[in-house]
Amino acid sequence: MQQLIPAIGFGLITASILAIAAVGFTLQFSVTNILNLAYGDIMTACAFAAYLANHAGVNIWICLVIAALFGAVFSMVLNRYVYFQFVRRGTRLFAMIIVTIAVSLIIQNVLLAIFRPTFFSYRADAGSSYHFGSMVFTASQLAIMVIAVLAMLCVHVLFTQTKLGKAMRATATNPSLARSCGIATDRVIDVAWLLSGALCGIAGVVLVLNTATFSEVTGAGFLVPIIAAAVLGGIGQPYGAMLGAITIGLAGEISAALISPAYKGVAAFAILILVLLVRPQGILSEVADAKEVAA
Amino acid sequence: MYGRPAQISVRVALAILAAVVAGACGTTQSATPKTYTGTLTFASFNPFTGPDASFGPEMAAGCITASNLINQSGGLLGHQTECIAVDTRGDPADAVPAAQKMLATNPNLVGMNGPSSDEALATVPIINRAHIAMFADSGQAAFDKSTFEYFYRLTPPDDAAGVAMAIYAFNKGYRRGAAVFGNDLSSQGNVPNLLSAFKKLGGQIVLNQTLTLDQTSYRTEVQALIAAKPDVIFTEADPQTDAAYLSQLKQLGSLIPVVGTQPTVQPPWLTAVGGAIGNDNLAKYFAAAQPYAPSAGPAWDAYNTALLASASQIPQPDQWSQDPYSETDYDAINIMALAMAMAKTPDPTFYNQYIPKVVASASGATEVHSYKEGIDAIKAGKTIQYVGPGGPVVFDQYRNSTGAFELVGYASDGTNPHLATISAADVEKYRS
Repeated sequence: MQQLIPAIGFGLITASILAIAAVGFTLQFSVTNILNLAYGDIMTACAFAAYLANHAGVNIWICLVIAALFGAVFSMVLNRYVYFQFVRRGTRLFAMIIVTIAVSLIIQNVLLAIFRPTFFSYRADAGSSYHFGSMVFTASQLAIMVIAVLAMLCVHVLFTQTKLGKAMRATATNPSLARSCGIATDRVIDVAWLLSGALCGIAGVVLVLNTATFSEVTGAGFLVPIIAAAVLGGIGQPYGAMLGAITIGLAGEISAALISPAYKGVAAFAILILVLLVRPQGILSEVADAKEVAA
Repeated sequence: MYGRPAQISVRVALAILAAVVAGACGTTQSATPKTYTGTLTFASFNPFTGPDASFGPEMAAGCITASNLINQSGGLLGHQTECIAVDTRGDPADAVPAAQKMLATNPNLVGMNGPSSDEALATVPIINRAHIAMFADSGQAAFDKSTFEYFYRLTPPDDAAGVAMAIYAFNKGYRRGAAVFGNDLSSQGNVPNLLSAFKKLGGQIVLNQTLTLDQTSYRTEVQALIAAKPDVIFTEADPQTDAAYLSQLKQLGSLIPVVGTQPTVQPPWLTAVGGAIGNDNLAKYFAAAQPYAPSAGPAWDAYNTALLASASQIPQPDQWSQDPYSETDYDAINIMALAMAMAKTPDPTFYNQYIPKVVASASGATEVHSYKEGIDAIKAGKTIQYVGPGGPVVFDQYRNSTGAFELVGYASDGTNPHLATISAADVEKYRS
């Protein structure tokens, strides 16, 4: 029990990383209806982009911006030249999932061929430790949490305060109707991929800052918790993804503290299953209902 | 190894079932040896991708070096030899079809190194039934009393490594140990004997943690470790897991001595953990137990010279110069090749019985340190005892040859300095 409060603190760090990644993942899905299982590998590719810049002498926080830009462009190009080619041929959701798995494997193996099977670390100091009661955070972890909060706020402002956000929500809910109303849905989809890719890039770098090392499969290994957070919150719901990320992040650390580290992976997914049994559409369900995904 | 225990258990069960079925459909020995045309094939049957991807290149380094020397010595029974890499991905579900494909598509396959602990239970029956001699690098205690007639092992089982780690730590004055091991089969094999040996020696295990691999955070686990106040950490987990764990220990408290198993001496682990906690800290706190290979003498000189000359086939060959697994994998190929020479056929069903004779310490036997020396002695009608860079091989009735352990550290120039030797007798004394 003595470890519960620190575990909550540690869970918040995991939740922050997960929230950035899951919001990017679900935002893109909500607008495009493509379940992009290559998302984790794009995170890894972004982490490598930041690595190259970092080892060329660039500060890690500037590398974070570079990774976000790389992720944005990479995701948009991936959609334009790969995924969209299938979409316009009428490829259905399940077949698109297979396409994204293929893209995932291609990215992984290209990274493996380029960087070889070894592990990489950033040249970045974790910084001093700060105590908040019995919670302990390093400077870089505090920065990760601040970045997560800022990213979530930006997403919130985008959705509620801007025309683009409203257009994205309209496209997510009913693309045909949105088009009929004069919304340039193709442009909205491009922007969704750009934003999702930028969040993916940020998530890739903060993930590696947290794990200290990475390889070509690091992002892919993080995909399951990302999807779990997105599904838990109601897939296609950015606010739901935030909620899901907090639940999954905290559940893992708290179960490790109270039960056993061996059940860390189990606890979070047990919660996921329980929630979905009670509420199959996820915690926040608007878009999931519309797209008939969660059910 | 990537945090999917339930999935693995089902896949492993299916793989083992497939192995049993495939094993039941094997062939029987014919009266005359099989005829081979063209190049003879040795396989390195190990993970080349996946979490244990470092195992495969380590094994291939030994195989390629031995094969090159055999070819330079005029070949084997009139054949050239080659090494092929067969990737098991470290997962029984992938390894079983990989084994079946290897056996079906390589008619000149005459012997192999592997499998590793990751896939041995599922694949050894298949390979044994196909009558292919295999020198496994599996450390699983399940093979301590193996009844598979084509199964050989030149390295100690995992549970013996745990004992060596305990003895070293106790001798260094550590009395409060924390066992921090990954939840994979290979890592967990070390734990039972480590715990019992450390207790028998008079130490106390203050924490026994099983880590779910490749999580983003181990801070809660690290917090529990700090609360238990150990003075030494025993560990084996994949590089990313140990790197994250130890870097978070450095953030939340301070590093303490770490005693790892042989996989922690491999370049990916050292790269990952060195990158995470700094190479200076690695040099200061790290030691690891690995099978003892003297890495000196005429056999090692021949091995190392040929290894370094194989840079076109083996990336960074010097990283395997003192690697006991690469050395024993090299020995395994030489032992099989010399057994073939004694049997006058590469057919495993015929040469298999000669394998123990190649290394037996018979009276009047000529000690040979390379394939070339061995083949010359056999041609001269002499009885031989092969002693390679891995040291003398003494097979027990189960075709296991276990020896001493050495503890190595890490130096900032990337080498692994020798710290201590734990004798086979000491290991046996504290092994359950």
